[in-house]
Amino acid sequence: MLGRRRYASHEPESHGIDLAPMLDFVINLLIFFIITAVFVKESGITVNRSTGVENPTPSDAESIVIQILPNGDIYVADRQVDVQAVQANVQRMRAVSPESAVLIVANTRAPTGVLVEVADEVRQAGVYDVTFNTTE
Amino acid sequence: MQAKRHVATSEDHGIDLAPMLDFTINLLIFFIITTSFIKEPGVTVDKPFASTAVNDPQGNLLIAVRESGEIWMDRREVEVRDIRVMIERFHIERPDDSVVIIADRNSEAGIVAEVMDMVRAGGIDNVSVAAVPPGGG
Repeated sequence: MLGRRRYASHEPESHGIDLAPMLDFVINLLIFFIITAVFVKESGITVNRSTGVENPTPSDAESIVIQILPNGDIYVADRQVDVQAVQANVQRMRAVSPESAVLIVANTRAPTGVLVEVADEVRQAGVYDVTFNTTE
Repeated sequence: MQAKRHVATSEDHGIDLAPMLDFTINLLIFFIITTSFIKEPGVTVDKPFASTAVNDPQGNLLIAVRESGEIWMDRREVEVRDIRVMIERFHIERPDDSVVIIADRNSEAGIVAEVMDMVRAGGIDNVSVAAVPPGGG
């Protein structure tokens, strides 16, 4: 009995659970999640896509039509404007008819950069309901 | 007496691992929560600028459209007609996903429109076009 107690007092750390394997496991999990973590957050703008209508008539009565040609020229209501002028034009037309939505009719070969810039200008004008269409 | 003191102090001969364990598990929980398993396209494109670009926290399915018209998704080049099937599969796996189309600023709008239609046909209506906000990033 005395000998047994003395033996126990020589290994005092054996009274709890051995944490080392759990710690190994947890650190492995941690490393896995650190490596797979991707902190990429894409920013973007949302544009609606009108479905069903393949070739809409550009002279749609209720909406402000902005056309983009293959070379990047922008036409607001059949008048050529600069990218910076899109916002002012949309604001002016919205003041006339506040309910009108904006329809961007881009040629299929128009650069996407111009499309995004135009949609951005329209959003700066306060119209977030932008619909996007393509023509041949 | 001498032996008893030796027994009492023999436990703290190593480093106490408990605080380190707490810290490690907190880190682990942080990384588990912030992990979103984004499907990256695998190519870099020259994104257009937009001052009204907003962060899309749900946007974790990225489709890249390059200047040449190539479409990249989930680290490989795909055809327009493949997108629908892939989107349907991803949509079943994670129904609350949304798609961000990363289009080069010189890519053709027609291809972006086709990709957008295919994504919508695949069942995900939440589609946005990537743009760089004024602050960069």
